[in-house]
Amino acid sequence: MRCLRILLLSSWAIAISGSAEGARPLRVVATLSTFADLAKTVGGEHIEVAAIASPKFNPHFIEPKPSDVLKTKRAELFIHAGLDLELWRGPLLDAAGNTKLFAGGPGELDLSTGIALLEVPTRSLSRAEGDIHLYGNPHYWLSPDNVRTMAQAICDKLCVLDPQHEQEYHRNLRSFLMRLDEKIAEWRSRFAPYKGREAVGYHNEWVYLMQFAGLTMRHFLEPKPGIPPTPRQLEFLERYVTTQRIPAVVQATYFPKGPAESLAKRTGAKVILLCQNVREIPACSDYVAMMDYNVEQLARALSP
Amino acid sequence: MKSIPFIILGSVLFAHAAWADASSEEIAALRQRVQELTESVRQLHSTVQSQQQRMTDLERANAQLQQVQGGPSVVQVPAQSGSTPTIGALGEPVRVPQVASSLSAFNPEIGVLADVVGRLSESSAEGEGNDKLSARELELVFGHPVDPYSRLDITVSFSDFEAASLEEAYITHWGLPGEVKARVGRFRPPVSKASALHRDSLDTVDEPLFVEQYLGAEGLSRTGAEVSGFLPVPWEAVTHHLAAGVLEGGVGEGGTLFGSVRRRPSYYAHLKNFWDISDTTNAELGATYFTGSRDDDSDLEVNALGLDATVVHYITPTNKLKWQNEVYLQERDEAVSVAEDGTETLFRDTPWGFYSLLDYRFSPRLGAGGRFDYIEPVDVDPVTLAHAGDTAWSGYLTFYQSEFARWRLQFRHTNFARGGDDNTVFLQGTVAIGVHKHQLQ
Repeated sequence: MRCLRILLLSSWAIAISGSAEGARPLRVVATLSTFADLAKTVGGEHIEVAAIASPKFNPHFIEPKPSDVLKTKRAELFIHAGLDLELWRGPLLDAAGNTKLFAGGPGELDLSTGIALLEVPTRSLSRAEGDIHLYGNPHYWLSPDNVRTMAQAICDKLCVLDPQHEQEYHRNLRSFLMRLDEKIAEWRSRFAPYKGREAVGYHNEWVYLMQFAGLTMRHFLEPKPGIPPTPRQLEFLERYVTTQRIPAVVQATYFPKGPAESLAKRTGAKVILLCQNVREIPACSDYVAMMDYNVEQLARALSP
Repeated sequence: MKSIPFIILGSVLFAHAAWADASSEEIAALRQRVQELTESVRQLHSTVQSQQQRMTDLERANAQLQQVQGGPSVVQVPAQSGSTPTIGALGEPVRVPQVASSLSAFNPEIGVLADVVGRLSESSAEGEGNDKLSARELELVFGHPVDPYSRLDITVSFSDFEAASLEEAYITHWGLPGEVKARVGRFRPPVSKASALHRDSLDTVDEPLFVEQYLGAEGLSRTGAEVSGFLPVPWEAVTHHLAAGVLEGGVGEGGTLFGSVRRRPSYYAHLKNFWDISDTTNAELGATYFTGSRDDDSDLEVNALGLDATVVHYITPTNKLKWQNEVYLQERDEAVSVAEDGTETLFRDTPWGFYSLLDYRFSPRLGAGGRFDYIEPVDVDPVTLAHAGDTAWSGYLTFYQSEFARWRLQFRHTNFARGGDDNTVFLQGTVAIGVHKHQLQ
């Protein structure tokens, strides 16, 4: 009888520890903070998520650290932008050696799948055109319409990896999409008075936001992608901004402000710092807050 | 008898109350369900509306394009400055297949690095590229997964003053027991922070003096096997990575740490400790143990301990300050030379060397820095030396033409242990084409 009691208690203890193990949050690593935020929104308490690239830095040029390698090694899901934005992704995955996260593996999620890409090259390219992107402009998360697709993809993947919490993932997704749809309508109406207006950018990373907002952006402080602003380019932009009465120079916070401020001083345009990624500045605490901030900054700059 | 009606009435009332309770619960549940269904319908309605809006926008964009171009739209790439086509409402989005479907997808990633160095010094020695402009190194880098378990990386280097050489050719194997990773082949072992880097990744034109003189003019690259992994610790503030391996004997060209007998293996272990202090600051402390032979009739009579400390701080996202230090201490048994007549010459049995480097990238295009070196020579009679060791002071300026090309001007003043000094000026150009990936450090 005593043995039976011990056996039963042991079985119960094992069962409890087993269920505790099963209840452990899914370990997710995302390359960018925006992806991490979307994953957390959909996954809720059932995932623990970390971002590799701090939003304070240019996502093109991240130097993964040993701590990033360790996080990736232990991750069960790796979310990335695909295309050729994060060229540091390959060495990071090789260093981590977590084969489940390699391209095509069960723990890999390429968020560019299903996205309607802009600026897809239709001819052969070389580095003579700068740090050009071969598959299209990769900054697609700045269009809330694309974020619907991304959030759905995250939900689908989480459901495959963790079917136990499928209902909650779907519920979180529905709740997020409902909120997003309301905000999309609000953002579109905020931009409505400025349809067709033009802004100048530092780097060509705002095309999806511009398309969503009905705005245009033809010229950049970088003469070619990845090449810092040159005096000749600034001269050209000074004439262009003045003659076309461009009201705003748009850039992310991680680019030097000097060239934009110099151009603004000469032309009367406003320098607008927008967020490329969630938590780039404290006001951009999640995706909706980031878009609220970006929309408001842009709309104010465009208003007369 | 009189109480029977009251009993019946009480029972009826009780039953009615019970029935009412059950009914109200059911009604509440039904009400809840109706609310949920209403909510679901509202969400679906909202989703359908936004999808319809999206379809309308795309149809409008397509119609505009067809109006402008008189046919199916073509996506345009932003061209040269001043002629970038309008983006925004125009430009039909294109879905791109995510995976190349042709056999070329199995070709290795190929990169080429060219390192051209001009060197002018007061020395008249016919050293590596002295007093001339040289194609110091042209690296061909190949890499690709072999299968789901391993990857092959190869680096072949050419130079205009020495024969082609195989710098690296190693297989990395993942997924071993204990979450360990293994490398087998020819590679740069992590026996020194600077030596583990390819020369194109150095902050200076030249290697630190102790790397040049102890490990080899181009650092250390040997054939061997290594296992590495992260130490399982309960804390997250510090990451600990341990690598250990065995190499063929000997060191690089001109190195003095070990002898040249390749069949006497050397062994090493390196522990890296990394702190993420903040988003903008990190620190690394490393320790290396490296042991090998100086001749072919004994084993492991040279023991070296390397310590490295590096702090990196980003003042702004594009302004980076790095302070890197390494010290290499040796303990050498049989630090003696016996002449034919039996005369013994005692060498220093604990020679050491170190460097301290400060690098500041103060704009996207410019960086500057300096390095101080000290090194005590190996197997040299101290009596013949004017000073205990060589010292060198270096200062440099780096211009980053783009992400793929940089130019560096460096000045180095050296005081030699044997006496005398030298001033050297370097001009370096480093460019990369193709896919260039070296292992993360």
